[in-house]
Formats: sequence, C-alpha cells, structure tokens
Amino acid sequence: MKKFLASLSLVLLPAFALAQTPAWTDLRGELKDALEAKGDPARGKAAFVPCEGCHRGDATGRPSGAYPRLAGQHVRVLVKQITDIRAGRRSVSKMEPFIDDHVLTPFDIADIAVYLQALPVSAGNGKGPGTGLERGKQLYDKDCAQCHGAKGEGEALKFYPMVAAQHYRYLLREVTFIRDGDRRNSNPDMVRVIKDYKSADLEAVADYMAQLAPPQK
Amino acid sequence: MKHHFFGTQFVAALALGLALAAPALAEDAQTIATTVCAACHGPDGNSAIPMFPKIAGLQEAYIVKQLRDFQTGRRKSDIMAPVVAALKPEDIAPIAGYFSQQKLKPGEEADKKSASIGKLIFFDGNEETGVPACVGCHMPLGAGQLIYPRIGGQHAMYVNQQLKNFASGERSNDVSRFMRVVAKRMSEEEIQSVADYLASLGVK
Repeated sequence: MKKFLASLSLVLLPAFALAQTPAWTDLRGELKDALEAKGDPARGKAAFVPCEGCHRGDATGRPSGAYPRLAGQHVRVLVKQITDIRAGRRSVSKMEPFIDDHVLTPFDIADIAVYLQALPVSAGNGKGPGTGLERGKQLYDKDCAQCHGAKGEGEALKFYPMVAAQHYRYLLREVTFIRDGDRRNSNPDMVRVIKDYKSADLEAVADYMAQLAPPQK
Repeated sequence: MKHHFFGTQFVAALALGLALAAPALAEDAQTIATTVCAACHGPDGNSAIPMFPKIAGLQEAYIVKQLRDFQTGRRKSDIMAPVVAALKPEDIAPIAGYFSQQKLKPGEEADKKSASIGKLIFFDGNEETGVPACVGCHMPLGAGQLIYPRIGGQHAMYVNQQLKNFASGERSNDVSRFMRVVAKRMSEEEIQSVADYLASLGVK
C-alpha cells in the first residue's frame, strides 16, 4: 500500500514536487538570508534559552537520542536544518512550534547558530554498544568519510554535519529515517549510498560515529 | 474546597471595593500596592490565598506586562479587570517595582510523591510527548530569568489553573505561544505534579 501510494504520488505530483523541493543545497529564501547575516553569539545565547528545555543548557542534547547535541555543530548545518524544519522540508513536530516564523527571524537563526558552533563539544555523549566498531569503521571509511570527514568532522561548506561525538541513539534514528525515506530533506546521494544497508549496518556505523572524538578546534 | 470558595468571593469583593475607592484613598503607587493589591496578594506580595498568585520577587518587567495585558484584555480575569481599570498608566511601573523588590516567602507543603514526579518533569520534561524541561527557561529553583517569570514557591493551585488556562487557550498572553504549546502537551497528572513541585520549592 505504501509503495502504491508512493508511486501514485510520483505520477500525480512531479511538477508540484519539483516546484516545492529545491535542490539539496539551493541557496535561497531565508536559508540565504540567515547565512548572509552576521550572527551575534550574545544574542544567540538569549534566543537559545527556550531551546534549552530539550537540548540542555550547554546544547549537549540527550543520550536517549530524543534531542541531538548541537554544541560545536557547523553554522551552515544548523541554519539549513532549522530553515528546512520550519519550511516543512524536514518534519520534527516537537520542535516546529518553537522555531516558526513568528518566533524566530532569519537573523535570530544566524545568532543561535553562531552561538552553538562556538560551544565546546565534550566527549560525554551517548555511546553505542561498542560491538560494531570494526564493521562500522569499514562502512564509514568506504561510504561516509568522503563527505563527513575521516574523523567525522563534517564539511560546513557543503552542509555536511559533524557526526563525531553525537549521541548514538540520535545517529541511529536519523540514519534509519534517511535510509527509509522518512527524513525528507536527506541528501539524495546519501540515500543512494545507504539504501541497501541492513539495520545491523546502520547500528555499526552509528556505533562507530558516536565514539569518534570531538574534533579539536 | 468550600472554605476556598468563600474566601475567594470575599476577597474578590473586598478587592473590587478597594479598587473603586482607590483614587480617593491612594495618591501614590506604594499606597495602591499596600492597600488595593494587598487585599488579595498580601501586603508584601506573598498571597496567603492559594487561588491568588504570589507576586513578591517577580521580575518588574513581567509584572508590568501582566498589568498592561489585564488592562488591554490580552489577559482575561474577571477579578483583575475591574482592579486594573482604575490604575493610572504611570502607577504601573512603581507598583511592579514595589512587588518585585519584596522577598518571596518559601513555598508550601505539597504531596511528596506528586512533587517528586513534578521534579522529574521540571528537569527533564517528557521526551515522548515533547514537553520541554521547565528548567530550560525558568532556571533551577524556578527563579526565572530574562522574560521568563519566577515560578518557584508559587501556590500549586494557581500554577495548576494557569497551566490549564494555557492548555485551553483561555490564557494567551504568553510570548511566542511557548506556554500554550508546552501546557497542551502536558497530562493533567503532569500539570498537578509540576505545580506541587514548584509549590514545594523554597527560595534562596
């Protein structure tokens, strides 16, 4: 049924979909505005206060994976994800009311992102079982390192997130969403790379990424 | 319960009477505070009546906003509306300043089991339903910061009612709709627990 609906929507909606979904790194709208704004970390700290109830005061998120770490993440990644979520390109229903356009301007988003990027990344993140590290490293080096960096540092310019020292459970949830098409703003290249990954493969890669040391800045 | 009801009616009537008489009685803001406001909120802002909030030690700007919202109808209250109608605009800031500088008296005995559940919600929220931890904005001890009011030590009955009002939308003067979103995600039990925890908090 799911497949049928998916193919039906492909038939019915191609023009709509093309008009609605910009290419993965299309720089336009408020993404462009927020990236061009010179963020102010002091204002960002104040604007981030309502986020702390979930993401914690130091933006370290939660080992349960319910809320990711944001500390140390690249400005461009943070801005892209926030603007994607509030434009409906990525669904995070718990977060949406707290970031919609009557709450944050693109300038606020820039402020918050600059503040978060400068926060220290500690090693105390939620780790995986540690049983898939060898397999995880093989897969990571083969399929992931080219974009996310050999040490999981990501690549800001291309909006590739830092994955090192992220919570295992968050990583596992998101890679599963991405493989299964449940994260709509996924990079299509990544979806192609991991589409045949078994759940055990995703667990192994997440296990490996979570124990990568936080990049030194 | 009956006891509260009688007290409420009586004090509301008293407040109304004082409010109507206020211009003649009170020349300055402090007199208004210690006569009109004091009838319900206590002379030092530590209301003894669980339905009426303690306003001692609330941030001045927060009190100003609430009084203005009562005046414009952005925040609805049959009790506060006639009282604030008699307030001159220039009296608002001094009244707010007066109560802001009063010391909040420690909270009240609360159901310990309920308060301990409330403490978990206060510090962790509810990840399943997306209730953020209260501490994020309201700080440890519920001391408040920036535009986020002090809530530690408040009467449980009042907190409970406000959270329900936010959830239903009856109270809608929260900044950015945050409290309406949060309260709507809370169960009745969570609301009661958080209210009990806050009420149990002493103040430094």
